[in-house]
Amino acid sequence: MSEITLRNVSKIYGSDDAAVNNINLDIKDGEFMVLLGPSGCGKSTTLRMIAGLESITAGDIFIDGKLINDIDPAERDLAIVFQNYALYPHMNVAANLAFGLKLRKVPKDQIESRILKTANTLGISELLTRRPRELSGGQQQRVALGRAMVREPVAFLFDEPLSNLDAKLRATMRTELVKLHNDLGTTIIHVTHDQVEAMTMGDRICIMRKGIIEQVGKPLEVYRNPANIFVAGFLASPPMNLIEGSFEQEGDSLKIEVSGITLTIPAHFANAYGNVHSRKDVILGIRPEDIYTDSNDGRYTCMETQVVAVEALGPETIMVVKLPGGKEISARLDRSFRAPIGSALKLYADIERMHLFDPETEKAIVAR
Amino acid sequence: MNTRAASGLERGDRRFGLMLTAPGLAVLFLVIIFPLLFALITSFFDYTLINPNHDTFVGLDNYQEVLDEEYILTSLWVTLKFVLASVMIEFAIGFSVALALNSVTRFKNFYYLILLAPLLINPVVVGLLWRMILHTELGIANYAISLMNIDPVNWLGNANAAFWTVVMVDIWHQFSFMAILLLAGLASLPREPYEAARVDGASSFSCFIHITLPLMRPVIIVALLLRFVFAIKTFDIVFIMTKGGPGTATDIISYFIYRAAFFGLDIGRASAMSIALLLIVLALTIYLYRYMTSLR
Ligand SMILES: Nc1ncnc2c1ncn2[C@@H]1O[C@H](COP(=O)(O)OP(=O)(O)OP(=O)(O)O)[C@@H](O)[C@H]1O
Ligand SMILES: [Mg+2]
Repeated sequence: MSEITLRNVSKIYGSDDAAVNNINLDIKDGEFMVLLGPSGCGKSTTLRMIAGLESITAGDIFIDGKLINDIDPAERDLAIVFQNYALYPHMNVAANLAFGLKLRKVPKDQIESRILKTANTLGISELLTRRPRELSGGQQQRVALGRAMVREPVAFLFDEPLSNLDAKLRATMRTELVKLHNDLGTTIIHVTHDQVEAMTMGDRICIMRKGIIEQVGKPLEVYRNPANIFVAGFLASPPMNLIEGSFEQEGDSLKIEVSGITLTIPAHFANAYGNVHSRKDVILGIRPEDIYTDSNDGRYTCMETQVVAVEALGPETIMVVKLPGGKEISARLDRSFRAPIGSALKLYADIERMHLFDPETEKAIVAR
Repeated sequence: MNTRAASGLERGDRRFGLMLTAPGLAVLFLVIIFPLLFALITSFFDYTLINPNHDTFVGLDNYQEVLDEEYILTSLWVTLKFVLASVMIEFAIGFSVALALNSVTRFKNFYYLILLAPLLINPVVVGLLWRMILHTELGIANYAISLMNIDPVNWLGNANAAFWTVVMVDIWHQFSFMAILLLAGLASLPREPYEAARVDGASSFSCFIHITLPLMRPVIIVALLLRFVFAIKTFDIVFIMTKGGPGTATDIISYFIYRAAFFGLDIGRASAMSIALLLIVLALTIYLYRYMTSLR
């Protein structure tokens, strides 16, 4: 049980740019926090600073209000599951699990019962006498998880523990981890660059880019209200369509012209726009799932498009289409929908759900 | 068709390879295989430098004589003491140096150079050097300790001191071999288990005991065995510095055999001893080889 707080934390390796740049993050007691971001954005570095494996260049990290910057990793009582598992190659699975407990002088019978219990939970009871090199990637991953669990630490740090698993095992382990979190109620920080993991597992997501935090929030909150262009274009797959456009004042109503299509801006956006923006340029964001094949009794805005590519995924069809101005966007349509490539197609956008971004600051223009 | 062409090519390749290696193999045969076979045959004959021919076949008599030899046990005992003392101390120093150097990042090549320097010196030169350094009246060693008001030591003349002097010189000469080998092993250890262990709650000391030592086991065994084999064969520094003396204090087996051959003039008996020594070293080497191949 523990609260983890990062205050103005930075990490600079050698003379490079900061790998982590002045980040602030509050992880609540018992929270499942997901760190999401593209490769090299500083997720592992952040985790390793919390674990104490990497020195902190600037800033403070607290666990339960206690400053831990200079505390030895051994005394932080955290457990980490490494990106590459890092099992002890010369010990069998049971010894791998027992190592941390032995060092902490847990009584022998208790060690045994805890190992058996953990091994049962993870389905690795048959593997206890094997060496790591005799295990498959998925089995090693579960052993690494077991080694963390058996210690009953104050918090778990997971560094992309599911990235080496096949799709099916990954889906199973995802649910297993969520269940584990519900059972134990221990604080978890989970690093991933997998969209689905981020959306389904976390209580909150923290989206990072190039060493800074772009947005923190509940998964659906971040999905519904991306704070900036990066988050909009990173979260979900396929991500939000982002189209450059410009405003036109036409009598009373504000219109927006994007790639050869003119849309009427809903009143609440027009107000927000008037408040924060004095320029003409804007970036319009529309999610592929907010594009339809029918007009919903004229409520949606019609777009004349041309089909570029069709991705029939099974549960849904992703249609890549070209707008009259040449911009390509994707639309998430019904699984049975088909249209020949090159044919003209009328699609309808739910303009009420659009997002507007300031091209200069890249920040969202928030509708009121 | 194809396979025949390929095997024809292969045969051509093999013949070409043989032709290339033939001169080298011939030299090897002359300087290694021939003396070895000669010694093996001689060990079954009464072959002395007074009567150097293979006329009198004596079967295993030479070997029997070796076992009956009065001082051979003394010599074997000295050899054992020498091998154990020098290899163990070299291991201790070598491992400490390797551990220290493994965590150094700056000037690593410079340290390597210093470390390797003694190893690059010919053993005969090492013996001559140290004989001068340790000379009772003229040597710099006794001068240095006289500055600290310590009485001069008869490094090579006193039976007890001489043994440890030879051990010390061998350590000076050879410990870097151990250090380099162990350092290579340490450098190739994976980093991740250490991080996992630190988070698991291990101190540096328990990391060393529970991770470094077990992971280094193959390298340690190979290093120890190699040094054991080399140490058993030590000859040069004893020959140069003490000639096996004073008394039998440094009379290690290789020097003992040398004396049997060139002072005792009994080549047959010396050959028998050489062959016996060879078998011991061979057994060690086979074990080493087996162990190394079993690691794959
Ligand atoms: N030991 C190191 N020395 C120097 N630079 C490093 C070191 N470790 C990481 N970096 C740099 O710091 C930045 C952040 O790395 P980090 O490993 O935290 O990324 P990440 O978000 O975990 O990426 P991934 O998803 O690929 O694991 C990268 O630019 C990387 O090159
Ligand atoms: Mg990483």
